Amino acid sequence: MNTQQISTKQVSVKRYLPDSSAEPFWQQYELPVDDSTSLLDALNHIKEQLDSTLSYRWSCRMAICGSCGVMVNGIPKLGCKTFLRDYEGDIRIEPLAHFPVQRDLVVDMEIFLEHLAAVKPYLIDDNPVKPYDPKTPETYQQTPEQLERYKQFANCINCGLCYSACPQFGLNQEFLGPAALTLAHRYNLDSRDHGKKERMAELNRHDGVWSCTFVGFCSQVCPKHVDPAAAVNQGKVEAAKHTLIALFKG
Amino acid sequence: MDKSSSQRLPPLKRNWWLKHRFFKLYMLREATVLPLVFFTLCFLAGMVALLQGADSWQGWIAFMGSPIVLLLNLLALAASLFHAATFFVLFPRVMPIRIAGHSLPDQVTVAGQWAGVVVVALLFFWLLVRSGA
Repeated sequence: MNTQQISTKQVSVKRYLPDSSAEPFWQQYELPVDDSTSLLDALNHIKEQLDSTLSYRWSCRMAICGSCGVMVNGIPKLGCKTFLRDYEGDIRIEPLAHFPVQRDLVVDMEIFLEHLAAVKPYLIDDNPVKPYDPKTPETYQQTPEQLERYKQFANCINCGLCYSACPQFGLNQEFLGPAALTLAHRYNLDSRDHGKKERMAELNRHDGVWSCTFVGFCSQVCPKHVDPAAAVNQGKVEAAKHTLIALFKG
Repeated sequence: MDKSSSQRLPPLKRNWWLKHRFFKLYMLREATVLPLVFFTLCFLAGMVALLQGADSWQGWIAFMGSPIVLLLNLLALAASLFHAATFFVLFPRVMPIRIAGHSLPDQVTVAGQWAGVVVVALLFFWLLVRSGA
């Protein structure tokens, strides 16, 4: 690893310290980088070596936990999956867009969590085949084909990058948004689930799937290639079917 | 739904789409409707002219032949082709086609849609040539 060329790069971070300054301000840091330096490594270097007052979230450093989302030159990215070698010139780091900023790069994601809870993103089965018996527990069975139907949409790590990419969420924060609608669709597609009817009430309304205009930037920025735009728009087809069926049923 | 206590930010400004190339491209896709509205109005006017009689019809044909109208309709053609190109790519993502438990590759769906465009275009071309002859 020592054979790699070490150079320095400048990173600008949008700071917000509500205790000492009412307005956010930009702060520049010069730091040593090599080909393997991720943005999260850079933030850790700043925190440990240059400025201990910097606040940001991180945990797993391997794109699993979804904590280290920030805006890099205006585009939502995971810090651990972004490498400084891919950037020339000044690299501008801001907190995730469309969320209230608490401090520096730390945002308040409460609204996203509320939208997520609203669509009941878990298996719902009020009438299991048999009552649960601990002596002979029955497991749900699923064929590979049934798994394939929702697998891609199950890769969401709740990082919130898609919310920062979505102008419709920026324009109307009551919009349930890409990740919540994707997870709703993921459970609706699951052969073990019977909660579609409950979720449809949330999905099939103006702030549900119908606020999406298929800008598609959510799918571009998703670090797990979930393609939320596809899920939301498949949700529109389902919502339309739901309306039609309800119409005929009276 | 109960309104929560979580904080809301003010909505984005009207110029939000100017910030990224991606958003500008999206707005261009949405703006293709404008020249298409012009084409649709021309088409409607043609229908009305046809009902009103020969003089009116000749007047409409002369109007359609004027350079500015031709130019705007060429723009409408280009806009509809651009919109089709973007829409055809989105289609398999929204309505993935599954045959015998396997999804059809996206490229096949996209190629199928373009094949449809070619068939319709050829049909119209054939009709035009036939009526002209």
